[in-house]
Amino acid sequence: MSRSSGQTTVISQTVARIVVPIILVTAIALLFRGHNLPGGGFIGAVLAVAAFALVYVIFGLDYLQREILGISPDGSGSHRLVESYRWMASIGLAIAVLSSLAPLAYGLPFLTQGVLFLEHLPLYGELEVASAFAFDLGVFFAVVGGLLTIVGEVGNE
Amino acid sequence: MQPTPEVVLAVVFLPFLAAAFTPAVYRLLGERTAYFAAAVALVTLGLVTDQYLAGAHGTVSFDWIPSLGISLAFYVDGLALLISFLASGVGVLILTYSGGYMHGEPGQAKYYATLLAFMGSMLGVALAGDLVALFVFWELTSLSSFILIGHYTDEEASQYAARKSMLITVSGGLFMLVGFVLLVWASGQTMAIEGTTYSIPLLIENAGAIREVLTASGLFVPVLVLIGLGAATKSAQVPFHVWLPNAMEAPTPVSAFLHSATMVKAGVYLVGRVRPLFLAENAAVLGDWTLIFAVLGLLTMTVAAILAVSATDIKELLAYSTASHLGLIIGAFGFANSYGAEAGAFHILNHASFKAALFLVAGIIAHEAGTRQIDKLGGLRKHLPITAVIAVVASLSMAGLPPFNGFYSKELLFEATYYAAKDAGGIAWLFPAVAVFGSIFTFLYSIKFASLFFGDEPDGLGHVHRPPLAMLVPPAILGALVLAISAAPNFFIDALIGSVFGDVSPGEAHSFSVHFPTELTPYVIMSIITIVAGAISFPFYDRIHDAINAILRGPVRANWWYDNFVEGLTSTSIAVTPKIQTGLLRTYATWGFFAFVALALGGYAAAGVSLPAFSGFSVTLPIVLVLLVALVGAFAVDIAPSHVAGVLTLSIVGFMVAIFYILADAPDLALTQLVVETLVLVIFLLVLDRLPAFYGDAPDRFVSLRDGVLSVAVGATVFITVLLSTNASPDPLLKEFLAARAGVPAEHGPFFADFGGGSNIVNVILVDFRGIDTMGEISVVVMASLAILTLIRMRGRGETQ
Repeated sequence: MSRSSGQTTVISQTVARIVVPIILVTAIALLFRGHNLPGGGFIGAVLAVAAFALVYVIFGLDYLQREILGISPDGSGSHRLVESYRWMASIGLAIAVLSSLAPLAYGLPFLTQGVLFLEHLPLYGELEVASAFAFDLGVFFAVVGGLLTIVGEVGNE
Repeated sequence: MQPTPEVVLAVVFLPFLAAAFTPAVYRLLGERTAYFAAAVALVTLGLVTDQYLAGAHGTVSFDWIPSLGISLAFYVDGLALLISFLASGVGVLILTYSGGYMHGEPGQAKYYATLLAFMGSMLGVALAGDLVALFVFWELTSLSSFILIGHYTDEEASQYAARKSMLITVSGGLFMLVGFVLLVWASGQTMAIEGTTYSIPLLIENAGAIREVLTASGLFVPVLVLIGLGAATKSAQVPFHVWLPNAMEAPTPVSAFLHSATMVKAGVYLVGRVRPLFLAENAAVLGDWTLIFAVLGLLTMTVAAILAVSATDIKELLAYSTASHLGLIIGAFGFANSYGAEAGAFHILNHASFKAALFLVAGIIAHEAGTRQIDKLGGLRKHLPITAVIAVVASLSMAGLPPFNGFYSKELLFEATYYAAKDAGGIAWLFPAVAVFGSIFTFLYSIKFASLFFGDEPDGLGHVHRPPLAMLVPPAILGALVLAISAAPNFFIDALIGSVFGDVSPGEAHSFSVHFPTELTPYVIMSIITIVAGAISFPFYDRIHDAINAILRGPVRANWWYDNFVEGLTSTSIAVTPKIQTGLLRTYATWGFFAFVALALGGYAAAGVSLPAFSGFSVTLPIVLVLLVALVGAFAVDIAPSHVAGVLTLSIVGFMVAIFYILADAPDLALTQLVVETLVLVIFLLVLDRLPAFYGDAPDRFVSLRDGVLSVAVGATVFITVLLSTNASPDPLLKEFLAARAGVPAEHGPFFADFGGGSNIVNVILVDFRGIDTMGEISVVVMASLAILTLIRMRGRGETQ
């Protein structure tokens, strides 16, 4: 059912090898700079999924699973990778929920986001830490996990 | 005295709590769980007694949904206490009795847990002081009785009965809810109440103002009918009486509980509860209230009594008789005079005492004689002497014979009908006539039940065992109660019923008394007619029984309507389903788009929106170019020869939209559009090689035309929507607030939580100001992925079939 490597051209494989890391780094950059510039958890996540999907189209899920991540197939026909995606989605959701619950401990309403300024740090000087970032990270993982589950499972057909 | 909040809360929630622990208790105690449950009921009874002895009267309230003004309020008064006494007191006896009756039956843990929950729900209904709380407990009784009636889950008859009771009582409850909502609305319209209220005592306090609002808006009768539907379905009034006889599929203790103290009493309770709300002190003799409830009640009393005579099964007989007696109570409450309220209040207690006893007797007969068929039973006195005494006492009370307690309340009903007829005259004379006519049948079936213990034994009757003590003591206690009330009716009236009478009638004293008739009044003559006519016709019981059964065919039976209705619904849905669910995505898409267009355009038309005036194109050259490319892409999609080409050209449109966003100064949107478009393109390409090269056969002309029209309509709808939504700019206050709050404040400490602290306002809105939306969205993403996972995996295993 699933594709193996070799069906696609060498050109596309070579391009993918160069492009995919760049896309992933860009995705993470988008996630981090989302608070002050265009970007954010959702966009970063979708871009990251696009990178994975590219790997999948060009190399196949088996390759991704065996060669890059070093997971052996469990023989049931479905990919163990998909299980990891599912976990990633759940963990993302949990991060988002837990970060929204945290303010309750300080007597603030559910989902209150705060901003902390750390001063006099070496190298950085002043650093702004927004608790919204934890929520954004949850969004990122939930969306990456959710979309990869879909892509992996649909592509696996 | 104000009721004690903790005690009232315990009364309602202790049974639920115990129900939660019942499965664990069952592992420890096994069949003796019955006595654990009975002990819980006993504690509840003790708590109710405590409040009664303390003279509790008033409201206790706990916050529930404060933003909507809904509270978990409990209102303790005479009526609430009476029903609580019945639910918990009869509960003790029923649960003890179950210890003997349920010996060796399956599913006991479930049985006791549900019975306790049932009792708790009923206590909740009785004590509820808030319309929403009342509704919730009301439907909980329906739910728990559904489980109890369907106790024997494998049996067809149980399933049918459980479904039937659920369907009828729950749908009635929904009508009632609409009535409640209208009441709350009315409370908001009157100056007498500040804001709106769900509080029952507050509504009753301002009954006059509420009535005025309802009458002025023409909603008085609709609200009466809606609430009446709730009461009528629950209390099995004609024509909703059909579920009650089927409910006897439940184990007998459940039937006894259901019929005497709980569920069906809820409807009667509701009528009593809202009576002072709808019935003014100086109400007309034949007002709307009387016309609805007295007619409904007397009709039910008569029809159900006739049906009871037609019954062939002792539990069926008792079930119809319950409906009949509930009709009596509701009918009595329907009369605007004080006798009606007296009769209703008193009969609640009397009916519970004799009907619970009779059901438990019926359980003994069924359990020990092995049959419930009336014509197979007789002469049981020799085998079941104690049971016979109980049965005779309770039957005579049910028949309304003096000096038993049933006589007094029936006499009060006769008085109520007589005075109503005397005051109104004319057609109102039908009230006493119907009351007497129905009572004759009541007399007949009551005597028939008692006669099972006398006469000869039929041939088929085998050896009849003695019942165990656990099964004998509860009915004996109830029988003794019947005797006690009969001996000293005024004691019980002073202690319990007097205050109930005051609670259900506006502006009445909290007391009345009954006495054995010593002179020949019109209502004594009515009683005499009833008894004499009953005694004369009793020898012809079998003939009357056959005659009724001969008439009851086809559409004359309410059951016929119910069965045909349900059957019709089922067959219609079976016929319609293949047309709607073809399994073709194309069909769903067509109907989905059609519904979208119809709803959106219909909505705009209904809201009377007008399109903004056209003010000329004010776009720059780059935007025009981008849009032109998009247009070319859109045409290319239509003529694309294959799926791949179609998807690729479609993505041209998407990317052009992204560029449009960039040109329109929306980098966040453009970024999102770009990455999503890319991902969608990749996913499309992944899926495409599994699809056929193209649709294959060209669809016929009609389908093409329909699809074309539909797609133009969808496009037009979206176009109009965009025009309308961009024309209506959002509240500037909101925009200013968000813009002002998104960044870092000029003056700030090392930590702050009231500002977003970011310069990308879109992302700050997403994760901070509207974080809960985002959380909902990512939950949807995760759920969608799980759903796809499940769908695809299960298809592989062939489990979707």
